[in-house]
Amino acid sequence: MKDEFKIAWRNLWRNRRRTVITSASVFFAVFFAVIMRSYELGSYDRMITNFIESFTGYIQVQHVKYQDNPLIDYSFTYNGSVAAAVSKTDNVVSVTPHLESFALASSGTQTKGVAIIAIDPVKEKNFSDPETKLVKYRITDEAIGQMVAAGVIPDKTLEKIKKNLDRSYSSPGRLELELALTSEEKSDCFKEILKFTEVSNGFLTDNDDGILVSDRLAGYLKVTVGDSVILMGQGYHGVSATGIFPVRGIIKMPSPEIDNKLIIMTIPASQKFFDAEGKITSLVVNLTDKSTRTIETAKTSINSLLKDKNTTAKTWYELNPVLYQQIQGDSQSGVAMLALLYFIIFFGIFGTVLMMISERKKEFGVLVSIGMQKTKLKRIVTIEMLLLGTIGLICGLLASIPFILYFYYYPIVLKGEMATMMEDWGWEAVMPTAWFGPYFFWQILIVALMVVLATLYPLRKIAKLKEIEALKG
Amino acid sequence: MKNRVLNILFVLIHGFSINTLLAQDLTATDIVRKADEKFNGEKSSYSEMSMTIIRPDWQRTIEFRNWSLGRDYALTLITAPAKEAGQTFLKRGSEMWSWNPSISRLIKLPPSMMSQGWMGSDYTNDDILRESSVVTDYIHEIVGEESIGGRLCYKIKMTVREDASIVWGKQIRWIDKKDFLVLKAELYDEDGYLVRTEMGTDIKIMDGRTVTTKIELIPEEEPENKTRIEIRDIKFNITIDESYFSQQNMKRVR
Repeated sequence: MKDEFKIAWRNLWRNRRRTVITSASVFFAVFFAVIMRSYELGSYDRMITNFIESFTGYIQVQHVKYQDNPLIDYSFTYNGSVAAAVSKTDNVVSVTPHLESFALASSGTQTKGVAIIAIDPVKEKNFSDPETKLVKYRITDEAIGQMVAAGVIPDKTLEKIKKNLDRSYSSPGRLELELALTSEEKSDCFKEILKFTEVSNGFLTDNDDGILVSDRLAGYLKVTVGDSVILMGQGYHGVSATGIFPVRGIIKMPSPEIDNKLIIMTIPASQKFFDAEGKITSLVVNLTDKSTRTIETAKTSINSLLKDKNTTAKTWYELNPVLYQQIQGDSQSGVAMLALLYFIIFFGIFGTVLMMISERKKEFGVLVSIGMQKTKLKRIVTIEMLLLGTIGLICGLLASIPFILYFYYYPIVLKGEMATMMEDWGWEAVMPTAWFGPYFFWQILIVALMVVLATLYPLRKIAKLKEIEALKG
Repeated sequence: MKNRVLNILFVLIHGFSINTLLAQDLTATDIVRKADEKFNGEKSSYSEMSMTIIRPDWQRTIEFRNWSLGRDYALTLITAPAKEAGQTFLKRGSEMWSWNPSISRLIKLPPSMMSQGWMGSDYTNDDILRESSVVTDYIHEIVGEESIGGRLCYKIKMTVREDASIVWGKQIRWIDKKDFLVLKAELYDEDGYLVRTEMGTDIKIMDGRTVTTKIELIPEEEPENKTRIEIRDIKFNITIDESYFSQQNMKRVR
């Protein structure tokens, strides 16, 4: 066996070019597959995490009937001690009470159906943190007029700004991103742009009776900070809920769908509005990680803490089965793409193997003629093939490690329209790679399988080898 | 053969005799009109009522006052619970407005809201508006006599006239023979399915008239839900002017 190994090793390096080509095809297969999968999983993971951590949470405590019938009638009494106990459960990062419902919002002659999310401004910081979404800069006709009048901003930059008329931003970074300023423009006049476009905005205090209105909704209702919005709806047990609420701030939600219809208020204000004293519709729980085991364990222990038997803990995939299935479907399509890649690569490997066999036909003929057992020859060729595969595999994995590591810590930040689109969908405009996981080790198995499959051909060829024909070439 | 002839003869005579009896008495339309006027007053009325919305897990009560003049004018003022007190609803002809003091808003209810529940009850805005007339929009037919709660009733089938815009397909009403009280009504949709049942009970004398003071509405699809209206006080043919039913008065009325 040791001799065979030695012969195989020497055989490999007898024709260095052939070896390099064959192992290179394995190398590229592994390298691209790993990187592709890593990006795919990484981006997807980030997206899901973004979504879960700022919208549904990993686990929500709800009234048992709330999911099928999200009415305020199916709210439950907020129990501070239960919430505190839940927050002490293993792996729980944050526990945030929410009261969610719908109402009509009206100002002047404009009226629109809106979603109301009532929050605890302090606790919400650990969850969706709406304070970071407050509109800080807005490009208005007025602002552009002032910029033109001041004359400090070059025409070319002004053009860029005009293109983004009526858009609003919650951070200088976002403004810069959407204007796509060059570094020159940035150093020259970014400060001025910020100065002219800055708008005043406020946030909710603890027991505020005011509201935050999402940007597009505010545009539709024609309200700004300091105006009032009339809300009308149905409260707890069919009470008519009506009230006038001062607008404290305007928030910019990334998703246009949500930006069109969101009003945020404090929980006490909403309880008064809906006549649901002391009640909330959900207790949103965020966990340290989203592995199924962590979520299920946390769910069980939270359920054991709940005293109100009408309430139950539900995981994000129970709350959002459509999203969950979509994720799984997308992951499957990623796997299909990968399969396609491997399929192509397999024929690359197979091609080089084919080439090798026809090149060495005479050599095999000589060996068998002078008395080499075919089984021994087969073993040697198999070892050769496995070595080729291993070299390619190891090189591929090694080469992908620095990439994965780098882009894990410094993900690609998308710019321009692509970034805007991603953020409009509510995703961070970054493409991180996934940390080494099962997907990484799966490659080893797949490549090994491919190599074994490719080896079948030379083995069969050797078995059917006729010395005379082979010697004649 | 002889038997059959006798049978037919019997049926003919018998049927005829019932018909002549009723003809001497009242037509179906007369009965429905009498019942309608009895409850709504020939000209005008004022009433104080409470409405209890009953759901499997909870119930709540709303109290209100109601002024009406003829078919076309009605004003309703909510008096309890405190959170909703002061809301008023005005009906003029086929239009309906609501006034909400806590937001100082006068809202005209669009036709699309007519089929929605009034104040969260099983009654729709359309029921409250009573745009349709039980007298003129239906074809009435006496289909029999039944006794309900020990009182003998006409059982009247009311089929909607083709030109009437009514959500119902037909109604069956049980109207008390003596006092012309609607003791039971079944409302069917256009496809002939029972949608809800209304029961009138607690017969009392109010303002000199015998009336049912408790009306229960049970939707067929959700038999656990119920809306109960109780009449606390009712006055018929009060002196009230058309100008009382104005948007200004909606904000003033107490």
